[in-house]
Amino acid sequence: MLDLLQKLCEQNGVSGREDAVRDLIISEITGHCEYSVDPLGNIIAFKKGKNRPSKRVMVDAHMDEVGLIITAVTEEGFLKFRTVGGINTEILLFRRVTVNGLSGVIGGKPIHLLDDADRKKLPKAESLYIDIGAASKEEALALVSPGDTAVLDGAFTAIGDKIRSKALDDRIGCAILIRLLQQEAAYDFHAVFSVQEEIGLRGAKAAAFTVAPDAAVVLEATTAADLAGVEPENRVCRLGAGPAVSFMDKATVYDRAFYEAALAGGIPCQPKMAVAGGNNAGAVHLTRGGIRTLAISVPCRYIHSPSCVCSINDIENAQKLARFMLERIASGALS
Amino acid sequence: MKLQTLLFELSRSDALGNVADAAELAAGVLAESVPVERGTGLTRWGVLKGESDYTVLIDAHIDQVGMVVTAVDDEGFLTVAGVGGLDLRALPARPVTVHGKQKLPAVFCSTPPHLSGEEKEYGNIADIKLDTGLGAGAKEIVSPGDMVTFTAEPAVLAGGRVTGRSFDDRAGVACVLELARRLKMAGTLPVTVCFLLSDGEELGLRGVRPAAYTLAPQEAVAIDVTFGDGPGIAPEESGRLGKGPMIGFSPSLDHALSKKLTATAEQNHIPYQIEVMGNTTGTNADQLGVTRGGVKTATISIPLRNMHTEAEVVDMVDLEHTCDLLEAYILAGGGLHA
Repeated sequence: MLDLLQKLCEQNGVSGREDAVRDLIISEITGHCEYSVDPLGNIIAFKKGKNRPSKRVMVDAHMDEVGLIITAVTEEGFLKFRTVGGINTEILLFRRVTVNGLSGVIGGKPIHLLDDADRKKLPKAESLYIDIGAASKEEALALVSPGDTAVLDGAFTAIGDKIRSKALDDRIGCAILIRLLQQEAAYDFHAVFSVQEEIGLRGAKAAAFTVAPDAAVVLEATTAADLAGVEPENRVCRLGAGPAVSFMDKATVYDRAFYEAALAGGIPCQPKMAVAGGNNAGAVHLTRGGIRTLAISVPCRYIHSPSCVCSINDIENAQKLARFMLERIASGALS
Repeated sequence: MKLQTLLFELSRSDALGNVADAAELAAGVLAESVPVERGTGLTRWGVLKGESDYTVLIDAHIDQVGMVVTAVDDEGFLTVAGVGGLDLRALPARPVTVHGKQKLPAVFCSTPPHLSGEEKEYGNIADIKLDTGLGAGAKEIVSPGDMVTFTAEPAVLAGGRVTGRSFDDRAGVACVLELARRLKMAGTLPVTVCFLLSDGEELGLRGVRPAAYTLAPQEAVAIDVTFGDGPGIAPEESGRLGKGPMIGFSPSLDHALSKKLTATAEQNHIPYQIEVMGNTTGTNADQLGVTRGGVKTATISIPLRNMHTEAEVVDMVDLEHTCDLLEAYILAGGGLHA
């Protein structure tokens, strides 16, 4: 599982440019299911199970990751950019990036040249730029074009009993969904590896229309704020206590029966203790005439940074919970 | 060793407090040219005798900026203090290595937006905890006083430029080591040269003081980095990458030495830039100049972007030209007849 997750995280797939991630996923699922790629780039797969389901279930994980998009090249050869998805400016300063396979850094004024006030506050994101070493506009444009995307580098590293990497949001979901497709299934189900989640839940909207399921399970990563100095009630969820199951976030009020069944299933998991964030459930549950939806999210510290940290145990329990809930819902037991 | 390979190896190793890897690595390379002696802390030096006892000390500092652990809590979070000047705004979610009983990967905490509010202030490094991922087990491996370093691996950029951590001042160290190799090959030198790799520069130009006292040179040249060009940085307070080493002019430097360096560059067709500093230089030259009864001092600075971050950028051609300039300068007798 961790080997697969590492391979997935090492691919670069900023929203709209998920190609490398999609190719890897297709190579992993080929032979285990039927699949097609829709006009937006979503992978829509069908897995034949041992039994015909009472409910048609779709399981979603998004392929895209947050990153940067190059908007212009300056006369001096620096690249101007905008963020793709939500990235705090503190995550951007003096970071190593990869653009078109080339290394670069996000540059800025050294603190020696800042006055006291400026040292304490973030610069405007619009003032930042990428330095790929090019000494002129021509040199830069030979290597990079506006519209190309860049990722913040973050190597896949074990830290304690946890993993630190870029793009754990949501390659964890992708890895779990790949495993569900590779293993024998109790019931037929549909799998969607979706595009453009980070820029407004766009891929899943189209995919859910196409699949037209009775119910959906969204596999995600979500903010964990179990950090030093944060009060317990503000921690949202904590690493090591199992995947988080949401009753409500900024995009969705979740199906209550699914939520309660997940918590009661005997697999370590925790309620997400905040009405914050959102995920593809927001798009999926409003598709067509409405779709009953569950979200299973692996707690993730420093989400949307190149140093996401997740617990290996939580990833394993999320996989167990996903399989359990997929079978419960497909069997019709929660109708 | 190719200069870039040398710089990359020096960048990958760390030299901070009791972490001596880069100092040992540099000492090993220097030992291929001259016998190496140890000074205080991580300071190392070697002397190449010349025809004259007139001694030119060439200094680069071996230490780097980083952090030191001040506390370990029960959940595996660490509190740290800065070692040298750090940009606190760039720390959240930054991966680091903690040099405890073993080397541990860790990451600075980044408070999620729902808790941090709109206008976050970055005034106190103790507010930005370090996450070891170890929970209560952290205390078995990490103790107050352990050093913490950044992790960026060196990488090649476009156009002969390179990026990595601790280029301040491993770029200078690489030049001093390369200069020692070249001068060793050059046969008898007109002057005696002392190659100094000094500790403690980032803490206020400290380590160079006992070393310079002990070595008692007649002349000193500090090789360090200076602010490279970039958006928002005024041309008059920065050097252009790739346009050559910067020869310093300052009231605290010896004017004749500065002139001898520019003349040497001109005669040998070595590109250079002028760096004018109003008072002192902020480099080890400030201490070298007031060693014992006073030492004539010069600076040569390599333009570097994003100073004191792990995204430092230099142009290799500036390092090559720094070596060329110093080699020609020493072979011409340094400041002996300046």
